Formats: sequence, C-alpha cells, structure tokens
Amino acid sequence: MPVTRLLYPLYQLGNPQLRIFRPNWFLTLVRPGREQPPDTAQFRIPMEMTKYDVKNYLEKIYNVPVGAVRTRIQFGSNKKRNHLNQKVKQPDYKVAYVQLAQGQTFTFPDIYPEKDQVVAEGSMEEMQEKFMEDEKQRQKLDPRRGGVTEWFGL
Amino acid sequence: MWEVTTAKMAASSAAGRVLTLCKQFQNVLRISSAINPQHCTANITKYQAHVYREKSPLVAVPFWYSPSSSAGQCRALHTTISRRGLEEFFDLPENWGEATVKSGAPWTAKQLRTKSNEDLHKLWYVLLKEKNMLLTIEQEARRQRAQMPSPERLRKVERSIIRLETTVKERETALRLLQTGQEKGRPGTWRRNMFGYVYWYRFKEYAIPWYMNKRYKRKRFYTPAFVQPHIRLRIEKHLRDKARKANREKETLMKLKKKLPHIKVPAS
Repeated sequence: MPVTRLLYPLYQLGNPQLRIFRPNWFLTLVRPGREQPPDTAQFRIPMEMTKYDVKNYLEKIYNVPVGAVRTRIQFGSNKKRNHLNQKVKQPDYKVAYVQLAQGQTFTFPDIYPEKDQVVAEGSMEEMQEKFMEDEKQRQKLDPRRGGVTEWFGL
Repeated sequence: MWEVTTAKMAASSAAGRVLTLCKQFQNVLRISSAINPQHCTANITKYQAHVYREKSPLVAVPFWYSPSSSAGQCRALHTTISRRGLEEFFDLPENWGEATVKSGAPWTAKQLRTKSNEDLHKLWYVLLKEKNMLLTIEQEARRQRAQMPSPERLRKVERSIIRLETTVKERETALRLLQTGQEKGRPGTWRRNMFGYVYWYRFKEYAIPWYMNKRYKRKRFYTPAFVQPHIRLRIEKHLRDKARKANREKETLMKLKKKLPHIKVPAS
C-alpha cells in the first residue's frame, strides 16, 4: 500500500483538529456471523481506526448516518503449525459494529446468487462438460444387474 | 476531522469538461454496444467509466457530498452521484453472480500528472470506494466459497492508488523545493552516535524543550575519545575482509583456468 509516512503534528490542547487528506484506510463490510439487530452493519477496519474515525469516515465519505459505533479486536488464531512445527499466527483485525441512525436498516445482500450459465457453443467449458458427462455414464453400473456389485457373478 | 471537498468550478471550465465528457460517454456507449450486448460496466478508474456507471452524462467528476452551498453556481450542470450509502460497498446489482466483470486499465502516472490537484483529490476517493467495494466482495467470496468475479481489479486499483500517491508526492516535493529549498518533508541532520557511526537523524516534535526532556538528554550524539582506536580497528577489519574476499575470488578463477584453459574471464 501507499507508503507515505505521515507525521502528524503533536496535538496540544487548543490546537485545531487534525485533518486527514487522502485517508488510506480501507473498510470491509462483512456478513455478520452472529445475528445482529436490523440496523447494525459489521465492518472489518484497520487497527489504527477509532470509533470516531469510523463514524466520520462513513458520514463524510459514504454519507451514511451513523448512530453509534462499537469496536472490538478479533484475535487471529495461532494454533496452526507449519511444516517445521512452528506456530503460525493469523493476523488480528478490528471489528466495528455500526448502528445506523434515522431508522435505517441494513441486511447483507446475497451477492453471489446461483445463475444458470449459458455455455457457448464449441467452447472449452462445453467440451469439458461433455467429457465429464460421458465419464459419468461410463462409470455407471449396468442397470440390468439390478444393483448387484461387479465382483459378484461370472 | 475530514476534509470534504467542495467542488468549486468556474462555470466555463465546467462546461468545457462536461462537453468532453459527453464525447467520452458517447465513445463508451459505442464501444460497449459494439462489443457486448450484455450490460457491461467498465468498472474502475476512469472518469468515463464512472460516468457510465452513474448513467448520467452530466456527472463531470465524482462530485462529493458538500454540505450545501458552494455548488450553487453549477447546480444546473451537475447531478450529484447517486447516494447509495452502504450499497456502495457492493458491486452494481447487474454484476452479482457474473463470472467476469469488465474493467479498464489502471491509471498511469503520466495520465495522473496532467490532472489538477482537485481532480486527484476526488479521484482518491473514487479509488478508495472502489477498493472498499472490492475488498468486501473478496471477503464475501471467501466466505461463500465462491469465485470472486475478476479479482485482478483489486490489483489495478492498488496500482492506481500508489501512482496517485507518487504523483502527489512529486508535487509536494517540487513545491517545497521552491518555497523552502528543502528536499525532504521531514527535516534532519547527520549525527554521530556512540560507536562512531554517522547517520541521518530525523527531527521529531516534542511537547517540552530539549533541556527539560530527560529522555532526550539521555541520548548521546557524540563519539567518546576512547572509541577512536576501535573505529580504526573496525575499518581495518572491513578492509581485510574485503581483501580476503577478492583474493578468494581470484584464486577460484585461477583454479578454474587451470582446469579449463579456454574459459572466458568474466568482466570485472
């Protein structure tokens, strides 16, 4: 990612608020694992972001009215071992639960619906499919044997 | 905390831009209708793509939410982006469940250098939203164990972002050089430490002056006199190592030459 090491001026009481131009924080809207109230959206956010940052981010960039934000830090598992039997750590991440204001509701849509694909004539996929079907047909047992296993009989 | 861009445009320049964009829009329409009858959306990184996305030829550049005012003069020209709110974290509904989604090339630094600062600022937010969308889609695909449509888009957006960053940095450096003659954004000096090394020390802001700062005063930016012989020894060691390495290489080369008389001697 962009490697601008920004050094913000030291904040002292009475100074103007710090402004962020070109924020390089990226949020991920995720489907909640546990059921949430209908007005709550769940995000994965960078560790450095605070509740106020999330609120400002959504309000100013996405124009979403935000009521309240709750955050927690998800511990990434370090139970896995690699081939040298060393522990492998999954990265931690911060989770934000954003409650929308003004009676708005949010449900996570199904963005990968099952669509029946129309396979083009003479394409690679069609040939593959045909091949698979033939193979399946070949693997099938003889229907005249009435389900008796192969090894039985002459 | 956030700097919200208020798009202020002189009416004349806005009109010109809109004109050119209309042309681009036409081009996009023509191309898309020629290539693909299905509803395709060129997704990232171009204004024209963005225009097409919003399905309005009049959106000049992505127009950010401005809290009233300052857009008054160009209200007749602009339609603001559709405020989709959290829906912006997802792709267009037409692209749900598709195997591939069309997208353009990433922005090149050359293209970005021709843009104004204001445009770059707006483009940053376009790219930011796009990347958020792609990350969301990717995570959902991982969760559903489905294939993410056109995952190369993520890479493209990242590249555009990096290039934008470099462009902005170039401009900042140029301006700084003009105004202050400083090449670096963060001032510093060459200092030496306890062991006689000289390094670039970058200045930092402190809340109290240095003579009151105990922790700062604990640091030693000088080399004591008794270190001098050790510095000499270190240099000697380094030189000896270097000579030894060169010798070793020479010897191996000689051996090889003895073994294979027709070998080519490598340059250097």
